[in-house]
Amino acid sequence: MATRILQRLIRQELAEEVLGDLEEKFLKTLKATSLLLAKLNYWYQVFNYLRPFAIKKTKIQDSNTVDMFAHNLVLIFRHFRKQSSHFLINLVGLSAGLACVLFIFLWVQDELEVDQFHMKRDRLYQIMSNHSDASGIFTWKGVPGLLYDELQAQVPEIESATITTDAHEYTLSVAETYHKANGKFANRDFFKVFSFQLMQGDPKQVLADPSSIVISESLAKRLFKTKDALGKSITWHFWGKTKTVKVTGILKDIPEASSEQFDYLMSWDYYHDELISFKNWFNYYARIMVVLRGGADKIAVQEKIDKILKERQERENVSLFLTPYAELYLHSQYENGLRAGGRIDYVHLFIIVAVFILFIASVNFINLSTAKASFRTKEIGIKKTMGASRQSIAGQYFTESILLTFISLLIAILSVWLLLPQFNFIAQKHLSIEFTSEFVLALIALVILVGFVAGSYPALHLSGFNVIEVIKGKLAKSKGDTWSRKTLVISQFTLSIILIVAVVIVYLQMDFIQSRNLGYDKENLVYFEREGKLIDNYQALLNELNDLPGVHRAAVSGFMVGGGNSTGGVDWEGKTPEDQIQFWEIRSGDGVLEMMDMKMVNGRTFSSTFKSDTNAVIFNETAISAMGLKDPIGKTIRHYTGDKKIVGVVKDFNLLSLHTAVEPTIFLYTPEQTHFVMAKLEKGAEISTLAKMEDLYHSFNPGYVFKPQFVDQDYKALYAAEERVAILSKYFAGFAILISCMGLFALAAFTAEKRFKEIGIRKALGAGTVRIMMLLSKDFGKMVLIAILLGLPVSYFMASRWLSDFAFRIDLKWWYFLGAGMITLTVAMLTVALQTVKAASVNPVQSLRDE
Amino acid sequence: MKETGLGEFEEVILLLVGILGQEAYAFKLAEEFEAQTKRSVSIGAVHSTLSRLDDKGFLTSEMGQATASRGGRRKRIYTITASGERALQAAKDFRVSLWRRYPTLGTSDLPMLALPTD
Repeated sequence: MATRILQRLIRQELAEEVLGDLEEKFLKTLKATSLLLAKLNYWYQVFNYLRPFAIKKTKIQDSNTVDMFAHNLVLIFRHFRKQSSHFLINLVGLSAGLACVLFIFLWVQDELEVDQFHMKRDRLYQIMSNHSDASGIFTWKGVPGLLYDELQAQVPEIESATITTDAHEYTLSVAETYHKANGKFANRDFFKVFSFQLMQGDPKQVLADPSSIVISESLAKRLFKTKDALGKSITWHFWGKTKTVKVTGILKDIPEASSEQFDYLMSWDYYHDELISFKNWFNYYARIMVVLRGGADKIAVQEKIDKILKERQERENVSLFLTPYAELYLHSQYENGLRAGGRIDYVHLFIIVAVFILFIASVNFINLSTAKASFRTKEIGIKKTMGASRQSIAGQYFTESILLTFISLLIAILSVWLLLPQFNFIAQKHLSIEFTSEFVLALIALVILVGFVAGSYPALHLSGFNVIEVIKGKLAKSKGDTWSRKTLVISQFTLSIILIVAVVIVYLQMDFIQSRNLGYDKENLVYFEREGKLIDNYQALLNELNDLPGVHRAAVSGFMVGGGNSTGGVDWEGKTPEDQIQFWEIRSGDGVLEMMDMKMVNGRTFSSTFKSDTNAVIFNETAISAMGLKDPIGKTIRHYTGDKKIVGVVKDFNLLSLHTAVEPTIFLYTPEQTHFVMAKLEKGAEISTLAKMEDLYHSFNPGYVFKPQFVDQDYKALYAAEERVAILSKYFAGFAILISCMGLFALAAFTAEKRFKEIGIRKALGAGTVRIMMLLSKDFGKMVLIAILLGLPVSYFMASRWLSDFAFRIDLKWWYFLGAGMITLTVAMLTVALQTVKAASVNPVQSLRDE
Repeated sequence: MKETGLGEFEEVILLLVGILGQEAYAFKLAEEFEAQTKRSVSIGAVHSTLSRLDDKGFLTSEMGQATASRGGRRKRIYTITASGERALQAAKDFRVSLWRRYPTLGTSDLPMLALPTD
């Protein structure tokens, strides 16, 4: 058997000696060992003869296919050289298009990979809560911490579960050096549920002790200048509490593909026992993630968990449900208790944009190939007479389009590689091109797909020419040909217009968001955390700050852009069981509302001159009307911390993002328990004022880190996703119109060339330059106009859908669309004009004399 | 232009061809190689090297006698050429010249390297 394989494969002239050698070897091995080993060895030797020098030359070398292929390549290169402008336009267009697609591919891939590294992701769920009140259902990641023990006892389908908090920037100190680092609390099963890697320490035990801390490698380096920090102690500080903890584990830095980023973990037991004062079934301070056993029914488990809560609460308005943890990053938004997209919308959006751009670039290729076909009819005719089949001609065109796509892809990869740093900066990512087998396969698929799409029309169309007519030089001037070309150009521009309108609308909305009057003045508001000595000694710092030149006003404030605390624990006169209202809760001291420039519609603001103000609250207008209180000033309400008197009503302001309407809000007067110091700076000297504030801070609170944050930056961060999408789509839309115009440019050139003589004759008979330009541009103008007519309704529909996500939005004005249409038309006509001017200004003598 | 350098494996094979003389054919060479270097090698590997050395002009070959142990097949005997001998000599000289410049142990006229301490 082995001998036969060898005989078939090996070259004739070598066969004798090789077989001889092998037999000698076989006999020798046989003598030394067993028959089996000798046979095995023989096989081994045979396989080792399968080397290039020994194997027969393959048949393909003398076959016609290879020759034809080589011939086609030669033709293609000659053609490229001859029609170099045409070739360049195709190349640039396709490369730009492919580069966009590659960027989008990288971005999408990165988005899809988030949180996918957890080994148990298929069975990993987060427990979420739906709170229904009069205004609808509000979905929240928090659940009562007491639920955890009940889960362990009552739900056997749960294989493992972990309970955590969200990450927060706490202060850590080692010796007398203070640092701020992002940390969260988690119980000991954290590493059973998640696949974060521990470099040192036993994953089952690292969080078992209440005074343990697990820190990341980079935090270890920051605190101790070494990765070997096991057993060292750190002091943790928060709001007057301190806790000395010992490093029990070193965590590998959290991968970027994790939606949760943190530098250290501390024990949940400590958090729950020492820091939570309201341990009841109505306080949603915990996050619980569970891994179900294989084969467990999610719905059944969900019902069990929900039942536990309902039994404990003896109420019906909150229900718990499970959501796949790994999907939460992309599907983070809930509307009325139902999943309503999130980042996945942008993933879809960009995929659509990629397809658009690819299509636009392919259309250029199709149009130019069919338009220029007249120059190649002779070639096709002669080939056909020589006996070329339709397939072989189609094959030639496919080779051409795939080759062109391949070259473009190389250029695209190169440009992506060059531009990746800028792209990463815009997209706030750390993408890189890695030639994994998947990526290479995707690239090959892309080349073949684009090659076929772009090549199919010219290949099938041109190969179908009638030989006799073609040889006679009569190119069948079919109407269908021009029609399909026009249709393609129109669809190209329709897509471009849709993209342009999208960019215009997104930009106007973002501008609206940034410039809208929010009901408070967000400019120059800076805040920092009250910690260390500032917890007791804050009044002295406030006095000093108020005296500091450059500081307009300072106060303790719990105001946080995007909300913060929310509570349902408010009762008022006339409240019925159906009146479930969630209030946003803002703690404050003296002068916060004045500092933020909020307007009172009724009553007064807090003031320490009134001794009774420790029991004072202020509501916003929405809260008052939601509660249905008439004449609210002076009325008493019951807050979960005690009875409170309403002293004022503040005009509605936007605490949350503009996606949502203004929600009921309550201000509590609690200067002692308000976590931030906030100051309004005077315009112009912010930097020097901040430096002075820092000195002041250090004199009051030596050692601690002064980390001021700006309210307007927090506000901007609310729209980070939209902002990035806005910038990215601007570039992509730009490319789309650029590529479309390049196609138009080439088509205009082609038309002008074809009508060269006609123009000459017209000019000789007295037509003016302008008139000829009109003549040449008319057709293109019509196509773009049709595209505008088609594109605007579609873009109107898409724009209103996107805007419906915002509770506060711009009105769609007719002139936005007209403007976008005009821009497209102008750009298109200018492109055409570049060609027509040239064609129309040629001296007729030149065009007519050569006959 | 043909490459004229010698790889380590090529050099050993070339030497063995010279040593074995009339017995220098692929199987014998492979066996001798294994015996001398204690490294296992397949006949195919040796054969491909032989044909490469042939291309470079360091070897010539002709078909020899048939023997019964080969099922009556002839073997190809390789002989070293003058240019093969020259290549071997050049390889040896090169090594010797390097050895001459190699510092003997203990005499450290090398400059001390400052190692970064972490």
